[in-house]
Amino acid sequence: MTSTTGGTTRRRRHEAMVSWRLRIVLCVCLAVVAVLGLRLFQVQGLDPSGQAQAAVSERLRSQSVPAERGDILDADGDVLATNVQRYDLAVDQTLVDDYRVRDEATGLVTTKSVDEAVGQLAEILDADVETLRERMTGDERYSVVARSVTPEQRRRAMDLGIPGLNAEQVAQRTYPSGSVAGSILGYVGSDGEPLDGLELSQEEVLSGEDGERVFEVGADGVRIPTATLEEIPAVDGSDVQLTVDQDLQWFAQEAIAQKTHQYDAEWGNVTVMDVETGEILAMADSQTVDPSNPGATDELFRRPLALTQDFEPGSTGKAITFAAALEEGVVSPTDSYTVPHEKEFDGQVIHDSMNHSTYDMTAAGIFARSYNTGTVMIGNQMSEQTRYDWMREVGLGGELDVGMPTSATSLLRSPEEWDSRQPFTTQFGQGYTSTVLHNLNQFQTIANDGVHVPPRLISETIGPDGEEQPYDAGESERVFSSETSQEMLKLMEGVVDHGTGGGAEVAGYRVGGKSGTGQAAGEAGGFDGLTTSFVGVAPLDDPQYLVSVTVHRPQGDWKDWTVTDTFHDVMAQVLSTRNVAPTGEESESYDAFVGEEQDRPW
Amino acid sequence: MSTQAAPEPEGFSGVAPETPGDAQRSPLRATRPALQALPRLRRRHRGLVGGIIGLMVTALIAVLAINVHISTTQYRVVELSEQRQQLVQQNEALAQQVQHLESPQVLSDSAVSLGMVMPARSGAFDLQSGAVVGSAEAADSGDRPSSFVAAPTVPGQEGTAPMDVSEEAAAAPSGPLGAAALDALARSSTAPPESGAAGEDDRQVSADRLDGGTVPAPSLD
Repeated sequence: MTSTTGGTTRRRRHEAMVSWRLRIVLCVCLAVVAVLGLRLFQVQGLDPSGQAQAAVSERLRSQSVPAERGDILDADGDVLATNVQRYDLAVDQTLVDDYRVRDEATGLVTTKSVDEAVGQLAEILDADVETLRERMTGDERYSVVARSVTPEQRRRAMDLGIPGLNAEQVAQRTYPSGSVAGSILGYVGSDGEPLDGLELSQEEVLSGEDGERVFEVGADGVRIPTATLEEIPAVDGSDVQLTVDQDLQWFAQEAIAQKTHQYDAEWGNVTVMDVETGEILAMADSQTVDPSNPGATDELFRRPLALTQDFEPGSTGKAITFAAALEEGVVSPTDSYTVPHEKEFDGQVIHDSMNHSTYDMTAAGIFARSYNTGTVMIGNQMSEQTRYDWMREVGLGGELDVGMPTSATSLLRSPEEWDSRQPFTTQFGQGYTSTVLHNLNQFQTIANDGVHVPPRLISETIGPDGEEQPYDAGESERVFSSETSQEMLKLMEGVVDHGTGGGAEVAGYRVGGKSGTGQAAGEAGGFDGLTTSFVGVAPLDDPQYLVSVTVHRPQGDWKDWTVTDTFHDVMAQVLSTRNVAPTGEESESYDAFVGEEQDRPW
Repeated sequence: MSTQAAPEPEGFSGVAPETPGDAQRSPLRATRPALQALPRLRRRHRGLVGGIIGLMVTALIAVLAINVHISTTQYRVVELSEQRQQLVQQNEALAQQVQHLESPQVLSDSAVSLGMVMPARSGAFDLQSGAVVGSAEAADSGDRPSSFVAAPTVPGQEGTAPMDVSEEAAAAPSGPLGAAALDALARSSTAPPESGAAGEDDRQVSADRLDGGTVPAPSLD
């Protein structure tokens, strides 16, 4: 019994001890649960989003995904402006010191001095050692060593293992054809900001929209593969396709550079336009900016002269007077006039450039020989307001916008503001200003069966997905009747056949045009120079191309100047490269003089 | 842990209350089931423990394997994206070279180097009538294109020496106008990409970036 009682007591004591231990364990467990519960409550209950936010932002990294800038293409799709990957090399100068390199072959570790490293870097970057050393030593935490380094150079530079040297990727704009169409393309600054030309005016189309990449990284800085990744994709910029053909543009640039050089002129311009579509196929200046180095070119040539330079056009301005007179029905090409070389109108003496004898001429002959006196005799048959309205109708006195940062402007005052001479001078292209584009715009309307089509430089924009969006240049509209247009073409043919446009003929084709020599106003007032030009169209049986040649302030005697040879070269090139077959059709020009005798002295 | 612990108190409490009665009535019967039951229980228990440990080890190994795989794949991704970057840049460099050679100035220079001159008037065939329209002229051998428009800058300064066809053409066996000149042009236009590509194609990463290993450390670009 004692043993049983003793056993029971022991058991009881044991049980009590067990339950006591259990209780302690339970208490500890409860305490732990309580602590965890409280923490849980604090984290989840009191500020759940804030805590979660803090945790995520600790891991979250965001990176901008730059959108790629669109290309600028020529009419055939050849690239005129595009981007390439380049690197900027920067250094933390405080870290630059002698360092140890491990030889790959032998596995030996040797010390490389800063001087040695800089020398090697200079060799790779093709830079001056002294300049490099200056940029690499000092106390600056960030110093740019070299900009726009090619990937290959960057790889070799980074392989040197210079401590503190970093490469940052940058996009650089390149212009593979250099200064071909440079003034049209414009250029960007070293920071990629567009500064001029289409780069500036089409910035919205070209630039696209940057994207963003958000991801989580672990403590070691490596992306956590399973964690969330948010990516807002970058929308790349659209490509801009021009109507300009780079091969023709180059040809025209060579041609006008040669002509301008020949006469030592201030500037020259050749512009080629498609008659039916108004597309500008070439807009060439005597000098053109190279967009990769705009600073090297004189400011005048950084923008297309066909838009920026307005001048008094001279005799090319007679075309609108004749077209208006034909349209108004006040003259027909074969009407005869007695034309002296000097004539007084309302107290104003108008004279021709040559002292010719008085001739009995046809209206067509007056146009072909470009006599001012005869032109005013014809123009005076219309009221000032009528002439002014027709001039406005073909774009004079207005702006022409082809999607460039600047519009072409023409200054033409209304008849109420004209001085006593302007009613006459405006009839032969003086007393108002016009740009090359305005000149072409007039002749386009005249040659295209009387229908005006707005000039265009941009043919379309091509989105990153290849979607093509035609550029809206405006509506075409009929200005002159078809008959007026036909008659004007014959008048223009007379200019080339037996008028002032000799040398413009292109064998096998019917060519028409109008020459002009306008007085150029000087800085100090008054006229102190000339602008000589020729605008021509071919082939006349189906007018397709217009070429304008303008040379501003050529040096020497004006009687020696001729720009029709340049016109001939460019027009012949246009016709043959565009596969316009020669027709060998006969000229349909009118006689210049009344009677049999056509060969008269100037 | 809980599965291992569970059978113990059960056996303990199952035996203990019966002890007073059993010890008096039949101690043999009381010991026999106890002796037989425990080993059986332990054997089953051992299998269970083994199974559980096995499962855990398998799970651990699986986790480890997946982890290792993920991190190596991570490095593979880095390696591939670097490779892609290099190919993109290589492609870009080659495209730039093509664009440069296609530019009108360089084309004209190349043509002049080959002895070509400006074309003269050309005739045309009228396919309907079979007649020749216009009269073609022979080109003037002295009419070379002018070079007022400066040549575009050579893409980058990336190692490719500016191509000088004239030298190669002059050195060609049959003079500057023969088939050898064309051949020289063909050779020199294909040669620069090769030499240019060699540098970029060379994906040997320096020892520094490998740091003794075989996979380059991820870089910032």
